Amino acid sequence: MKKSIGDNMIPKDWDLARGLDLIKQAGYDGVEFWLGDMPWFQLTTTDADVRELRRKVANAGLVVSNVSTGLHWASPLSARDPKVRAQASHIVERQIETATLLGADAILVVAGLVTAEVPYNEVYQRCVDALRPLGESAARAGVKIGCENCNAEQRFLMGPREFAEFLNDINSPAVGIHLDVGNIHETGFAEQWIEIHGPRITRIHLKDTLKHRGRCGDQSVYTNLFLGDNNWPAIRAALTKVGYDGWLIAEMEARYRYAPDQQFYDTAQAMDRLIASRF
Amino acid sequence: MNLSRREFVAYTAAIGLPANVRPPAARHGCVILPVRGQCSLPESATGYARALADVNASLLVIPAVLEIPQNLQALIAQRLQTRGTVLVESGAGFSAGTAFNRHRDSLREVIDVAVGAPVNLWRGAAGVPYVDYTWPHAATIRDFSQAVAVPAQSGDVIANAAGLPVALRRRIGSGTLIFLGSPLGPALWAGDAEARRWVLAVARASAPPPAGAR
Repeated sequence: MKKSIGDNMIPKDWDLARGLDLIKQAGYDGVEFWLGDMPWFQLTTTDADVRELRRKVANAGLVVSNVSTGLHWASPLSARDPKVRAQASHIVERQIETATLLGADAILVVAGLVTAEVPYNEVYQRCVDALRPLGESAARAGVKIGCENCNAEQRFLMGPREFAEFLNDINSPAVGIHLDVGNIHETGFAEQWIEIHGPRITRIHLKDTLKHRGRCGDQSVYTNLFLGDNNWPAIRAALTKVGYDGWLIAEMEARYRYAPDQQFYDTAQAMDRLIASRF
Repeated sequence: MNLSRREFVAYTAAIGLPANVRPPAARHGCVILPVRGQCSLPESATGYARALADVNASLLVIPAVLEIPQNLQALIAQRLQTRGTVLVESGAGFSAGTAFNRHRDSLREVIDVAVGAPVNLWRGAAGVPYVDYTWPHAATIRDFSQAVAVPAQSGDVIANAAGLPVALRRRIGSGTLIFLGSPLGPALWAGDAEARRWVLAVARASAPPPAGAR
């Protein structure tokens, strides 16, 4: 397995080159690019500038593990407004294009967003309908779309069997799950999600979760690896069981208040322990 | 239905049915006509097509329409003259400016229906602003966030949402014109059983297709 971390973890007042150097020095193999999060990678970033990003990543001795985005929280594929929906599809298409330019073969998509206004049945059907053609685009580009399990935040696809049914309905080999082992919170067990989805897992986000907090209030439910309630030996065993040997990508919500670079080192070392099953 | 196969093929070719919409008119009486380039919600057309696939009634549905082309006027008039029902669903809830003005003008010119500007039903709503239908039977169906209001005019208001009239039924000769300012098709497409019961009741209230119709 290989280790990666998001470019959005780079401190805001650092430039990309400095951030990439830190990522390399901390022991990561790659970097996850978040479309729309950082100034160097926006929807308006040209193909030429994306190629330049790839060159910088290579110069740092890294590769791009995948292309993620948080833009779908504001522009979901499940929107009722056709203009918003078109923008959501455009974002996915751009992710596919930039993944190709960056030499990556996977993207992360937050597929749908259930709200008081847009009900579950609509969101489900709209996401299936949107992801079928996007899956064809991805397949042509040799890229996999990983729909992230955002569970409580999405109010959508809360259980692993339900998620599997969703992927069955999309019925595209290019559409799988970008599994976040922290997002499951108190609603289940990450190791069971791994067992159920196995070969459909495109990438894995790593973070720990404090189940007693839930996803409410002003305290983050997420924490650094090994500080929370995830059963890491069970998660590691499940990864072995299903033969997952792909990217593990650190995604921390809470940041170190001081010495932010230290979080990169600490997280990388925890990931090494996880990969080596040294608990 | 009073539409020969040749006419049907001509109209569907002109208007353009999306590939995922099975034209039920080919076997039964209902025709779903999403206007090419002017159907803002393809899922609405799919919803009607699924719900009415096996229904035998003289019902013409123009789903989620933005600008109704003038050349549909003859087809609508013909359907109304032969005791049929024409259901026009607005697809302009999310439109603004020139696009909405075109919608409003075409409704006035082609079917003589006046509409107000789109309203966000959720702004200030205390709960879910369901659309409450009163005809052909009482039904409460999920709103679609934005609705086009139907001000007082000839015909009966048959649905309200958040205190706003959003659907109209007007008898024209021996036929019936129904205008929906809040799209129903997406609810059909999403599997809403109440929406399906309502549109089937509309179909039952419509005349059967004339003998010999395909």
